[in-house]
Amino acid sequence: MNRLARASLLVVVLGASAPLLAGPTLPFVEDDYGRALAEARARKLPLFIEAWAPW
Amino acid sequence: MREFVFPDPSLTGRAGQFVWLAINIEDEKNAPFLVMFPGEGVPTFAVLDPKDESVVLRLVGSMTVPQLHAFLDNARIAVAGGGSGRDADATLRTADQHYGARRYAEAAEAYRLALGQAPAGWPPYARAVEALLFSYQQTWFRGEAAGHDRCVDLAQSVLKRLAGTPSELAVAMTGLDCALALKDDAPDKAQRVAALEGEVRRIVADPKLTAAADDVSGAYGSLLEARGQAKDEAGARRTAEEWATYLEGAAARAQTPGQRAVFDSHRLTAYLQLGQPGRAIPMLEASQKDFPQDYNPPARLAAAYQAMKEWDKALLAADRALARIYGPRKLRVLDIKAEVLKSRGDLQGARRTLEEAVAFAEALPPGQRSEARVAALRKKLESWKEAGPPPS
Repeated sequence: MNRLARASLLVVVLGASAPLLAGPTLPFVEDDYGRALAEARARKLPLFIEAWAPW
Repeated sequence: MREFVFPDPSLTGRAGQFVWLAINIEDEKNAPFLVMFPGEGVPTFAVLDPKDESVVLRLVGSMTVPQLHAFLDNARIAVAGGGSGRDADATLRTADQHYGARRYAEAAEAYRLALGQAPAGWPPYARAVEALLFSYQQTWFRGEAAGHDRCVDLAQSVLKRLAGTPSELAVAMTGLDCALALKDDAPDKAQRVAALEGEVRRIVADPKLTAAADDVSGAYGSLLEARGQAKDEAGARRTAEEWATYLEGAAARAQTPGQRAVFDSHRLTAYLQLGQPGRAIPMLEASQKDFPQDYNPPARLAAAYQAMKEWDKALLAADRALARIYGPRKLRVLDIKAEVLKSRGDLQGARRTLEEAVAFAEALPPGQRSEARVAALRKKLESWKEAGPPPS
């Protein structure tokens, strides 16, 4: 799972993510940390974060 | 993850257990987030305790669906506090807190201690090993000379215990990466590389392998590097062909265009390694058609045509990508365009493009701006100014 050195070869040309957003199974807040944090505090839930790139 | 893991129906029941946030690290508006939470790789997953914004659990790299379930379970336990009363669990929590805060030397020490305290059959054993390997790698990047040595020793010592688990490949591969990164005159480097290379080869050949496809793909990248360091041209070629075959099989099994396109980048790399960039053109044209607003297919086409020395097609593809691209990745495409212009003999246009890249890199906000990248671009531009007559 954890890889850095081996990722470098791939990232040189390209990156490795999909072009589409996640499916509807999980209700992701997109690109709004403040809103997500406020929601997590209000609902007393932990905040799951995926930091991703479109490449 | 976005195509194969998050849409999995088994995660539906998880929706109300967390607030879910996706951060596109290329989007400029997320730069302040990246200042608060810098990372070492993509994707990175973290769970925050919203009370104090502390990172209770963090992981760099992809996960399978079962691994994500375990990650979420561990995160909920960490946020809830309490614990099993076992020393190993308490030490693991301390290690996770250091890791979450990117204090890798402290994290490494705590993970090492937790593994020493772990009873037989300790459920977090595999993930603690993976986190310790990553921490060792990071301590090396921060100047700890022994980081890679420790990483290799750990990987070799635990592989038997992880046999048949989803972590087996990741541990062998990380160990191999660390072995390859040892100095050439390091004691027993060749033997250590050979041993871990053999383990990785054995694991990827196992028909019962359950690792994530991008981990398998990454393993082929490591195997390729091993053959490269051995100066074994024929072996490297065989490995690259095996890699391409594996990826083509995975792409052929994709259920959607999005799933198929996940493999485009890896396949392009494998084809470039084989010296067969033309093999990438049909898949990239298909992705370009399926995702007309996505900058990745034309960016990758530009790289493929560049390798084929088809300069005009490379420039057209680069310009198509540049019309859609945003964020730091734009620098990669500008660099390809500059190189293509230079190869075509247009040094003036090449310099202008590189100047555009330097200006763009310098204007990126904190969190996205990389001083190393700016310095490398400036250095390249300077070398090109020395290489020929000045622009008119």
